[in-house]
Amino acid sequence: MRLLDAELVETREILPRQWLQRYRAPWLAAGARAGQFVHVRTPDYSGLVLRRPFSINTVDRVASEITLHFRTAGKGTELLAHARPGDTVPMLGPLGRPFEVDPRTHHVLLIAGGLGIAGLRALIDESLAAGRQVTVLFGAASAGDVYPSSLLPDEVEYVVATEDGSLGQAGLVTDLVPAYEAWADQAFACGPRPMLAALAALARGRQARMGVARLGRKRGGGKPVPLGSPQARRRSWLQVSLEQHMGCAVGACLGCVVWGIEGPVRVCREGPVFAAEEIAWEESV
Amino acid sequence: MKRKRSVVTSSPRVRDPYLGPLRLGLRRPRTRPQAAASGSPAASSGWPGAVSGESGLPAASEADARTGGRAVPAARPEIVDLSVDLAPRRPGRLVLQNPVMVASGTFGYGIEYGEVVDVERLGAICCKGTTLKPRLGNPPPRVTETPAGMLNSIGLQNPGVDAVIERYAPLWAGWQVPVIVNVAGESIDDYAGVVRKLDGVPGVAGIELNISCPNVGRGGLQFAVDRDAAAAVTAAVREATDLPLLVKLSPNVTDIRPIAQAIEAAGADALTAINTLSGIAIDRRTRKPLLGNVYGGLSGPAIRPVALRIVYEVAQAVDIPVVAIGGVSSLEDALDYFAAGAVAVQVGTAIFADPEVPLRIVDELRAYCAERGLASHLPLVGTALPARPNRPSSKGVEYRP
Ligand SMILES: Cc1cc2nc3c(=O)[nH]c(=O)nc-3n(C[C@H](O)[C@H](O)[C@H](O)COP(=O)(O)OP(=O)(O)OC[C@H]3O[C@@H](n4cnc5c(N)ncnc54)[C@H](O)[C@@H]3O)c2cc1C
Ligand SMILES: Cc1cc2nc3c(=O)[nH]c(=O)nc-3n(C[C@H](O)[C@H](O)[C@H](O)COP(=O)(O)O)c2cc1C
Ligand code: FES
Repeated sequence: MRLLDAELVETREILPRQWLQRYRAPWLAAGARAGQFVHVRTPDYSGLVLRRPFSINTVDRVASEITLHFRTAGKGTELLAHARPGDTVPMLGPLGRPFEVDPRTHHVLLIAGGLGIAGLRALIDESLAAGRQVTVLFGAASAGDVYPSSLLPDEVEYVVATEDGSLGQAGLVTDLVPAYEAWADQAFACGPRPMLAALAALARGRQARMGVARLGRKRGGGKPVPLGSPQARRRSWLQVSLEQHMGCAVGACLGCVVWGIEGPVRVCREGPVFAAEEIAWEESV
Repeated sequence: MKRKRSVVTSSPRVRDPYLGPLRLGLRRPRTRPQAAASGSPAASSGWPGAVSGESGLPAASEADARTGGRAVPAARPEIVDLSVDLAPRRPGRLVLQNPVMVASGTFGYGIEYGEVVDVERLGAICCKGTTLKPRLGNPPPRVTETPAGMLNSIGLQNPGVDAVIERYAPLWAGWQVPVIVNVAGESIDDYAGVVRKLDGVPGVAGIELNISCPNVGRGGLQFAVDRDAAAAVTAAVREATDLPLLVKLSPNVTDIRPIAQAIEAAGADALTAINTLSGIAIDRRTRKPLLGNVYGGLSGPAIRPVALRIVYEVAQAVDIPVVAIGGVSSLEDALDYFAAGAVAVQVGTAIFADPEVPLRIVDELRAYCAERGLASHLPLVGTALPARPNRPSSKGVEYRP
């Protein structure tokens, strides 16, 4: 974690109101892992007193660059969208805990709801680099919101569902998952809370459904690991990346908690990536 | 009416473009307790000398004692002494190396920001509110941004005093910077119980009482809004410990002065002001309360004028040091609070946007004093206070809704 000034190199609107920005940020590019985020300061402290959290979308270690992918949702993102190449943007990062992929995992399933793709995008690159097969299930309201396949590596299998059926399968992205649950060694999801809650329910039932097929693999077996540890996430079939309003983003203010099964957990510190079974999904937030 | 001043001092007369002729020393409405005036050098450096009679102006000799009897050459920041004693009644017990603290609840236990802030250079750290038993806190969401500020409803999530003593105090004991434990409770016994446990623990430099908590014994009425309850809890804690005791005032009251005076009389060493202002936010999508707890506390630049008014009133009502809190995000903000009578400030919400704010204020304050030939920031304290002792803040009263 470090305070740094990232220099905006390139900014473009990849979809209506969705921006992809490339920043020169050697510290982040060198150390960030998929699933981590940055806390970005807006240029207007007198009005906007809080930084804004964004997932580290991609990491280019060679060029010392990272990208952010965001949607303009209010004043902070509006200001950020107006930044021009050459501008410096103060960031704090990398923050939070990354996704943990089991070394034995070959088949990686990523499930993204809309902007949730920004939380998973770096994991695609990491997984491919590690020689894994990657399938991305992407859900959006309609064709206009679908993440362009041109921004994905060729090796990725990309499956789209839209609620209005204007592209890909009609329906929710969660409807696509059962077809892949046997194939996937591990799944990683980012998107709206109801989507994640539905996936968590699916994952709970999966153990029973897959029981026979998974005998002998020993994943999840062995000695118990502490809740919230990297091992616990590595052993989990489904990891989710959560969002919550944040104050400090370093674990100091306890503003960003969600309810875990053993009480409040900080999205900025214990998260944003959690094993699905660590979260108390029946709580509304 | 502007009062005529007749400062006799060996220091050069320095003019400040903003402040006008510098006033060397704080004009106090009432005589200061003797103990502090005869304290150790370190302790007395925390307070700009006893007032000379009714004039409220320091005697030249006292001003000289403070500056070591010499004029301070401009532009030598190293020799500016920013130290301040927050418990002059207990000389030497809580002397801060500089007057910039970090506010409770915004800096955790001092370790969370460790990678980006040199915490040892802070004036002091007020840790997260600590209660007798662990508390899980309020349902999320707990924070939201508001115009020039934020609302929080953490609900005093904390692991309880025993865990704080076990996990953090040993760490604090190795630090140069004093850590002040912010204490909360729902009954007088709660508060006294927590403080009794903290008493004598190495690493605990002082207590800050957060009295903006519902008093279960009085139907949930906050201690902070009830003069008798505020005095009673202060007295009970004073009984329980010899540690320097700061009491944190709530702005959510009609007249702060009698409350501040009652707390002073009950034995507080210093007052800190202010805690957050009560507020709510509506979720624009659902048209329902946004915070899980409905109510939150407003902080940030938005509350600065309110906090300034309260510091201004309290500084005139009591003789003990006043520490200002509320939207401090720059040197200028700190200087405003010094002018209103605070000897130190706490930085809270501003840390979230820029964790470097507190130390930047320290460095800039040092440079500011050096440029103006000031040996300390204390001459800047109280310059805005009215001349007549205890003059009611008539404007404040008129405009109070
Ligand atoms: C770990 C994490 C990673 C994120 N990654 C991305 C990303 O890669 N791309 C992206 O577009 N968005 C991402 N978000 C959401 C993003 O932080 C919000 O869209 C953004 O803060 C909105 O700011 P605003 O000023 O435009 O909106 P406003 O509504 O004006 O913001 C007001 C306040 O609410 C907060 N807020 C509003 N929505 C959210 C939200 N969904 N999550 C957290 N705080 C919120 C803001 O930070 C701000 O404090 C992420 C959130 C988290 C917690
Ligand atoms: C997230 C958050 C948590 C806080 N927790 C506490 C607390 O536990 N105890 C307390 O006395 N004050 C608490 N406060 C109040 C601050 O210490 C401070 O009084 C207030 O925020 C005003 O200062 P500021 O405008 O600089 O933030 C909290 C404030 C915030 C923003
Ligand atoms: S945002 Fe402060 S603890 Fe997570």
